[in-house]
Parts: sequence; structure tokens; C-alpha cells
Amino acid sequence: MDDKQLRRRFYDLVWPQMPVVLRTAQILCGGDVPEAEDLAQETMVKAFGALERFQPGTDVKAWLLTILRHTRIDRLRATAAKPALSLERLEVEPADQRSSSAWDRVDIADDPEAILARFSDREVIQALGRLPEEIRWTLLLVDVEGMSHQEAAELLTVPVGTIKSRAHRGRIMLRESLLPAAKRARILGETDEQQKKDRPDIEGSEIGTSGDSDGYV
Amino acid sequence: MDTSKRDQQQHWEHTVRSRLARLRSMPVDAGRLEKALRAQIPRPDSVSAAAALSWLRPMRAVAASILVIITVVTVLLLSTASRPVSAAPAHMAEMHQNVVSGRVPVVQVDSIAQANEVLSRKWSNLPEVPDVPENHIMACCMQSLKDKKIACVLMKRDGVPVTLMVAHAKDMRAPDSPVTVKDGVRFHVQAVGELNMVMTQRRGRWACLIGELPAETLMDVVQQLEF
Repeated sequence: MDDKQLRRRFYDLVWPQMPVVLRTAQILCGGDVPEAEDLAQETMVKAFGALERFQPGTDVKAWLLTILRHTRIDRLRATAAKPALSLERLEVEPADQRSSSAWDRVDIADDPEAILARFSDREVIQALGRLPEEIRWTLLLVDVEGMSHQEAAELLTVPVGTIKSRAHRGRIMLRESLLPAAKRARILGETDEQQKKDRPDIEGSEIGTSGDSDGYV
Repeated sequence: MDTSKRDQQQHWEHTVRSRLARLRSMPVDAGRLEKALRAQIPRPDSVSAAAALSWLRPMRAVAASILVIITVVTVLLLSTASRPVSAAPAHMAEMHQNVVSGRVPVVQVDSIAQANEVLSRKWSNLPEVPDVPENHIMACCMQSLKDKKIACVLMKRDGVPVTLMVAHAKDMRAPDSPVTVKDGVRFHVQAVGELNMVMTQRRGRWACLIGELPAETLMDVVQQLEF
């Protein structure tokens, strides 16, 4: 395949998936747009370089997200990012770990849809950015991109059971990450006295930081 | 964990999942990324075609400008060409004096027939000059008022030079002036200094007679014209 044919194939097959790659990169980077654009660009260029190895008829999106994942890992290794909470450190589910935390004090009448609807996409992405990398990837593939557990398992090269477990834990972690913000923004009802009491605990319980990796460094 | 709390947690999990799914439709600004990628990986068709035709761009701009100018000029010419011009007395007087003083080239002729022959040979689309009995025909020429052609014949009446001007009726418009009707013929009568002029239209032709003669005399001459 000559260069012209490769470029034509790139624009036919890969180019239409560019928004997916960029969106995924933005979520991975916790909303850091320049970093996400760099990541997406590197991914697309690598995809062009590997285009001859792409099997026609297979899922282009999954192929691109695999390249994106490897590129992201390489970049995290290269930048030697600060370690975040790793999966190994998440032996206990966060919800269980904080059984008497904010979650338990949420009024039973609180409406989850109404509470989450108050968060902007940016805030949700920032909350995702505080999750460990593998949990973030799992939620990205399963919940955001709507992949099946099987597809996500193949892409992340882990058993399906791991994906299910990570997805469940990731949703709880995300909720736990969002609830303190909801309380601070008074989306959830709470007295000032309770807020003062909760604040050190909430801040201390935040999971990781934006752009952190887990276990790659 | 009791049942109600478990149900509540499941409800929350479902809600978080739905909220995350909404990120799928989150708009992203891919402008910068597109630009950067196109620079690195040029599109195969558009690149070569654009490069091949890039030198044509300034020429196309010039051609487009010329086309616009031509169109505007054509429209203006067409709109003005089809519009009759006003036979302003000052213009008529100037044309008469040009003929009399020889400031415009004239051809000496002895009759209206000869004048028509000369005029039709030299200029196309000139109206035929009606015959004027009992006058001394001296010369003829063509003059233009704006872009309208006017056949001019210099003659003498009672020893006074008089110019007969004839044009297509559709090309000329009589000025705002008093209208005099004589023997059923309508005349626009004007005067510029010592010069009197009478204008009329008959059989698709506009005629103006101008000279230092009384308007009545000029009207008499015009009435003798054999259109």
C-alpha cells in the first residue's frame, strides 16, 4: 500500500473516529484540554503508522482506543506522574470503607437523578479524573462508550469478571467523589454544623488526583 | 446492609451509569486537532488538487473583478441607452452654433435627398430627414447628444441660417416648456438668447428647427416638412 492509499484509508476509516478519541482523551486527562489534544494527536498519528496492520472488518473504534490506551500508558511512564491510589490499595470497596461517611447521611428522600443532573460534564470529568486509571478506563468503556463487558475486557486484556467488579466499584467511587461537592454546593441538604464536621473527612477521603496513574510508575 | 439501602445504592449506581452515558454526546472542539493532523497527514485528494490550482487563485480573483465591472458597465449602458435624452434648449443652441461656425465637420449638399444619401452612407441607424420645400440646403452632418445620433441639416430661410435636427422619437424627450398647438400640430417652443427653437414629433421622428427667426416662422417651416 503506497502513501497515498494509506492516507486515503486513514481519512476513510480513522478520521471519522477522531471525536471519540478526543472525547476519551479529555475524560482520561480529567478535562485538561491541551494534554488531551496532545494525547489524541499522538494516538491518531500512531494509528496512521499502524494502519497497514489494521484488519479490515474489525472494530476501528476499539482498535483506536487500544492505541490510545497504550499511548496514555507510555506518556504516564515518560512523565513519571505521581502515584495515585492503585487497584491493589482498593481491596475494600470505598462504600464499605466509609460506611458511616457522607453517603449514609444522605436523606433517603434525596433524588439521585436530580443531584447528578446538577453537575456539569466538566465536573463529572474532573471527578472521573480523581479515580484510579483502570477504574476510569472501565467506566469510560462500559458506561461512557457503551461497550459490553466482553468488549471492554478484550480491550483492557482482563477477565470479564474484573470489568464487572471495576465498573461497580467505579460507580460507587464516582458517587463518593461527587457527593461532597454536592454538599458543598448545597445540592444536598445539610446543616452548617454537619458540613464543618464532615469537611476534613471529605477532603481526606478524596481518591487520587487528576492525571495520576495507578501502578504504571 | 438492609434491603432499602441496597435498593438505594442500586438506584444510585444506575443513575451514575446514566449520567456517564450522557458524556457520550458531550461536544468536543476538534478544530485544533484537525488542523494539526491535516498538517502531519495531508488529505490525499485535496492536497494535490489545491496545490496544483493554487497559482490560479489570484487570476480567478482578477477575472471575477473584471467580470463584475463589465457586468456593471453593461447594465449601466443598457439602462442609459434605452432611456430618451432631454432635448435641452442650451444643447440644441450649441449644436446649431457648431454647425453654423464650422466647429463640427460638415458635408456640403444641395438638397435633402442628397443630405439623406450622405448621412445614411456615413452613419447607420440615422432617421431620414424630411424634405423641406423652398429652402436653400447648404450642408449636413451628424452630431450626438449623449449616445443619441442626430441628423443635422443646415439651410437658409430668408437669408438666415437655420438648422433642422432630426432624431428617432424614442431617443429624444422634449424639455418642460410651453406647448403651442398650431393647425393641429403640437410644438414645444424655446428660446436661448436670439435663437428660437421649435420641436415636434411626427411619425416616429423628433424634429427641431432652430435659428434667429421668429418662432412662428419656424413653426411654419416645420409644418411644411414632408415626413
